[in-house]
Amino acid sequence: MKLFTRIQFELLVAALIFLPGNISRLARAAEKVPAESIVFETHVRPILKANCFHCHGEGSKLESGLDLRLRRLIAKGGETGPAIVPGKPAESMLLTYVQEGEMPPADVEKRLTVDEIAMIERWISSGAKTASVEPENIDAGFFITEQERSFWSFQPLVRHLPPAVKAMDRIRTPVDQFVLARLEEKGFSFAADADRETLVRRLYLDLTGLPPGVEEVKRFLADPAPDAYDQLVDRLLASPRYGERWGRHWLDSAGYADSEGATEQDVIRQDAYRYRDYVIRSLNQDQPFDEFVREQLAGDEMVTPPYTEMDEVSIRRLTATGFLRMAPDGTASNNKPNQRNQVMANTLKIVSTSLLGLTVGCAQCHNHRYDPISQADYYRLRAIFEPTLNWQDWRTPAQRRLSLYTDANRKEAAEIEVKAKAVEAERSKKQETYIEQTFQRELAKLPEGLRQPITEARKTPADKRTAEQKKLLKDNPTVNVTAGSLYLYDKKAADDLATYVKKAKEIRETKPVEQFLRAAWEPTGKELPVTHLFHRGDFEQPKEALEPAELAVLTNGQSFTIPSKNQELASSGRRLAYANWLTSGDHPLFARVMVNRVWKHYMGRGIVETAGDFGFLGTRPTHPQLLDWLATEFVRQKWSLKQLHRLIVKSTVYRQDSIRNPELDKIDRENRFYGHRSIRRLDAEALRDTLLAVSGVLNEQSYGKPVPVMADRTGQWVIGIENLNAGRPGPVLPMHGQEFRRSIYIQVRRSRPLAVLDTFDLPRMDPNCTGRASSTVAPQALMLMNSDYVITQSKYFAERLQREFPNDLTAQVEQAWKLAFSRAAPQEEIDAAVQFLQAQQKQFQQQNEPKKKDAKVDLAKEKAAQELAALTSLCQALLSSNQFLYVE
Amino acid sequence: MASNVMNLGSLALPFLLHQQSQATPRKPDLDGEHFDLTAKKTRGEPRAKAMISLWMQGGPSHIDLFDPKPILQKKNGETFPGKIKYDNAAQSSAKMLGSPWKFKRHGESGMALSELLPGLAERVDDITLIRSMRTGVNNHGQSIRAMHNGTVVEGQPSLGSWLTYGLGAETRSLPAFCAMIDPGQLPVLGVENWSNGYLPSIFQGTVIRPQDPRILNLTPPAQLQGKVQDNYLTYLQRLNRRHLEKRPRELDLAARIAVYDLATRMQSAAGEAMDLSRETQETKNLYGMNDPVTADYGARCLIARRLVERGVRFVQIYTQNQLWDHHGSIRSGLPAACRKVDKPSAALLTDLKRRGLLDTTVVHWGGEMGRLPVIQNDTGASKVGRDHNTYGFSMWVAGGGFRQGCVHGKTDEFGHEAVEDVVNHYDYHATLLHLFGLDAEKLTYEQNGQQRKITEKKSGRIVQEILA
Repeated sequence: MKLFTRIQFELLVAALIFLPGNISRLARAAEKVPAESIVFETHVRPILKANCFHCHGEGSKLESGLDLRLRRLIAKGGETGPAIVPGKPAESMLLTYVQEGEMPPADVEKRLTVDEIAMIERWISSGAKTASVEPENIDAGFFITEQERSFWSFQPLVRHLPPAVKAMDRIRTPVDQFVLARLEEKGFSFAADADRETLVRRLYLDLTGLPPGVEEVKRFLADPAPDAYDQLVDRLLASPRYGERWGRHWLDSAGYADSEGATEQDVIRQDAYRYRDYVIRSLNQDQPFDEFVREQLAGDEMVTPPYTEMDEVSIRRLTATGFLRMAPDGTASNNKPNQRNQVMANTLKIVSTSLLGLTVGCAQCHNHRYDPISQADYYRLRAIFEPTLNWQDWRTPAQRRLSLYTDANRKEAAEIEVKAKAVEAERSKKQETYIEQTFQRELAKLPEGLRQPITEARKTPADKRTAEQKKLLKDNPTVNVTAGSLYLYDKKAADDLATYVKKAKEIRETKPVEQFLRAAWEPTGKELPVTHLFHRGDFEQPKEALEPAELAVLTNGQSFTIPSKNQELASSGRRLAYANWLTSGDHPLFARVMVNRVWKHYMGRGIVETAGDFGFLGTRPTHPQLLDWLATEFVRQKWSLKQLHRLIVKSTVYRQDSIRNPELDKIDRENRFYGHRSIRRLDAEALRDTLLAVSGVLNEQSYGKPVPVMADRTGQWVIGIENLNAGRPGPVLPMHGQEFRRSIYIQVRRSRPLAVLDTFDLPRMDPNCTGRASSTVAPQALMLMNSDYVITQSKYFAERLQREFPNDLTAQVEQAWKLAFSRAAPQEEIDAAVQFLQAQQKQFQQQNEPKKKDAKVDLAKEKAAQELAALTSLCQALLSSNQFLYVE
Repeated sequence: MASNVMNLGSLALPFLLHQQSQATPRKPDLDGEHFDLTAKKTRGEPRAKAMISLWMQGGPSHIDLFDPKPILQKKNGETFPGKIKYDNAAQSSAKMLGSPWKFKRHGESGMALSELLPGLAERVDDITLIRSMRTGVNNHGQSIRAMHNGTVVEGQPSLGSWLTYGLGAETRSLPAFCAMIDPGQLPVLGVENWSNGYLPSIFQGTVIRPQDPRILNLTPPAQLQGKVQDNYLTYLQRLNRRHLEKRPRELDLAARIAVYDLATRMQSAAGEAMDLSRETQETKNLYGMNDPVTADYGARCLIARRLVERGVRFVQIYTQNQLWDHHGSIRSGLPAACRKVDKPSAALLTDLKRRGLLDTTVVHWGGEMGRLPVIQNDTGASKVGRDHNTYGFSMWVAGGGFRQGCVHGKTDEFGHEAVEDVVNHYDYHATLLHLFGLDAEKLTYEQNGQQRKITEKKSGRIVQEILA
């Protein structure tokens, strides 16, 4: 039986689906372009590049001698004659072939769409025009057209002056001018500023991922200073909670995980958390972002090897290279060439999507179908990382642990070991004495005549004993006193010996613990590996050798090259050179990609909505000048992330209220023009952390080893120390408040996503995440309605309220409101809540009626339990409500 | 603002994620694939639509239940003439142990069964009895993995996960893959039994608990059920509606209100599916719910039927930890285990058949191993048992396109090794998937650049001889 119909369901889904924010370039090209403006470069070449170039132009072999890369080459045609006859689609072989499905060949799954075929047809009928004169000569294979080179994201940054606007009174930072100018163009302006209660909650959650406390709200609301808001921003940026919030965002890009993934074992990474802590610390200290990224790409090359006896800065730099060790690494359990190459492929994916905003990975097996990235480009980029991730001289994760033990540590440990050994020697001596004494005692119990021969037999080494001696000892087992059996004779002696063992152990425990880093570095004194292009991405089919370089399209006119070996360094210097170029301020993508991502975290959408793809299939920037202005400003402010935050959160754009303007809504449902503040759901970590904070149990301990995740009896992933017995869960071990730590400190085991986070769209690190989803689905509702987790948090919340305001329902309700929503409850809400509490209490009372009859019950205790249950129910309702789940 | 791209989350209620709202997919490289649990069309014509696996963890003794070996009775106590592969050599003996129980032929098929299975004896003409199962890995964990996951390696998806990955489910309000655990201890390997392995977590089995709340998160704890929850929901939705009134254009807020209504409907659907008070007394008695020995197992079999009736794809019912692992005291232990499950198992066949569901529902009864023809723990008649045997053992399957009244394969004359028409675990998986219209070689999932499949280590043969 189905309890809701398909139609109902579809209506629901329809309500959930929003207009897509992104229309792909090809789809747009397929729209009705006036026939006279259809040109090869813009409308036809991308279709052919995506579907045909692989065999007809960019491959190693030109199939049928047909090259489709230029209009004139198409017209010239191949072995079977011209591929098009301009103006005559019916006579154009190119068209007939794709129309009849003969091309691409049957074994190719990807087919041309109807729109794409129609576009080719209209291009041919309209005379097969080009936009400009085609080059005389082009190299065989891959080449980048002028049109491709002039793509917006490959152009150098240009700093535009903030445009003039009418409503100058709404301008707080230059950001506002760029945004308002667009709004005014459309005849609109900003929404009103949000009220202070809204702003304080928004700022806290955006900057720290935690809600403001009751006192903090009070302080801000009562602050008469004209710059009260700015001061609040500064306070929050100075809070250690800031790094935990924004560190999480960076960890998404880096693909942070506490396990290796890739294979079933999903081996735990013991040392990854130091990289996580490095990220949090760097952000809290506002380490210049260029340096932050340089260290992550090449921290090892900034330190002179050997990596021993390192100072704090060197350790930090080596820790930073953990970034290059975040990709899933199957070689921890299966050290095979395919796993090794997969680590490299995933590392390049992380580097390119997080820092370049390009899907470079597509070029691993063939030239990129859409972006002007050749397969050779891919392997040149790979060559930068090859010396540290050398698949032919691979080091497994265990072999890449970098010990921080110093000579002083070693010396201290050796000294301590001497002391421990001394205690053990003392013990051995004492043990011998005890054994001898016991033996004598036992011997004395035997007949006189046996004593001498037994003593003799015992003295004789076991393999030299005569049969007689052996028998003697066997017949008188009580004299067989050994180290192992001593306790049976003399418990006191055994206990005494045990104290020595304990003492030795305690002494050893004072040795300095050996700490390790999860780092990337190049082995020195070895020949640098040669990077080959792999045919179809297959490492067993190496082709030409390639030198390290940046993607060709990004070095337009800069002639930027990376030397294969920097003679001044012990390492190759490739990564350092690359990192320096990326963060030079001249790189076309890096700063744009970074500021766009920060913007997206605040506004819910990026200026470029596809934050991980600034290529041809990505969306175009809604505010290109703003993007460039932010990027250049970021560089100008010495890459201070905190300054960038200030620029954004102090703006009017950010401070608007979230009420939509119905007129603007008609043309901008998705808020691309930022005419109001978008309402957003708390993300997974913010939601869990906020639950903990509101219910008063949050443990603010920072840094350190991750809090472990285990399966409960049903297989749900919950916080806990795994305690299995033949695969079955044993007793639950106490967590001592660790279960209440912030989500960033919970172990990220790839195969074990914590249930409460997972339900609220925790991303899979596969290998990283450049844009999170925010879904609205039934499991979230069910978790809030029925899960132990939420019910328990609600109970903590209720107990907190009772503790703070005993026996005062109204005060409890008021406080609940302030804690959950950061604002005072309106009177009618207080009334409704009190009413609800009374109704629930009555309900719980009725439930317990039958029990009362059979036993004598403590009425006062029972009443207290019912009150707590009712208040818990109220708390649960507040915590499941939209006002709690969303930030305005 | 909702950018609902994709999500592979939720272990709490994996099955529900197909409700995911979605935006227009952008680019495969960026977004990855989208996985859901909507019903999928298969290439082949499916004969089976659902499966109930009665999982007999521990290794029921085939020699005493399914595979009569008169020579053992004749030579009872004599030394086994061949070579024996023991698990526990310390307690082993080479003395043969004839079955203490009598075998008799039943039904039109004349299938020989032990007197310990009187219920099944009446249904022999519905089943295919395979007497030549083999996994060849002689301990519980590995052999369980072989039978569940296709290989002995840890971390692979279980059969239910593969089936729901390939087929989705026919219901939107119940889990696609239900794992019904025993009130006693979890079976060996614990939660790994219903693990999704490397498949997305929506394909993990959802545990149906033996008591309320039957499904975590889907039904509220007992003290919050009924009016208490009604009050809570009414109040919550009032809060949400008042919140929305001030923001009437926020579709996401409206959607979340609707999602609470949807969740409430799912909750009642689950409640309805688990509610055995809707069954007649005759049905309940058929399953043995009127007898304390069979009540629990019977109730679970009955719930399993109600689940597949409502579109659930795969249900596995687990016996308690090592129920069938009779290293000792087999003379008392084996009959007790049979008494618990025989009647309800047979009832499930009867009930499915009379409702016309057996044709499309595979029922499987078996564990990870059988037992040796020789004595283990030779310390007196009441104490003797049998050690593990994964080289030849029996299990039965019925419905969903399997032959009726069929006996397939043979072990050697002592019942130690499968020798004729051997069915390896991978053959079994290939055959099962075939009945569901799937090709075990083509049902693949890309993990870390590799195409993974259930018959990864070895390709299975579709055992045509046992198909109707």
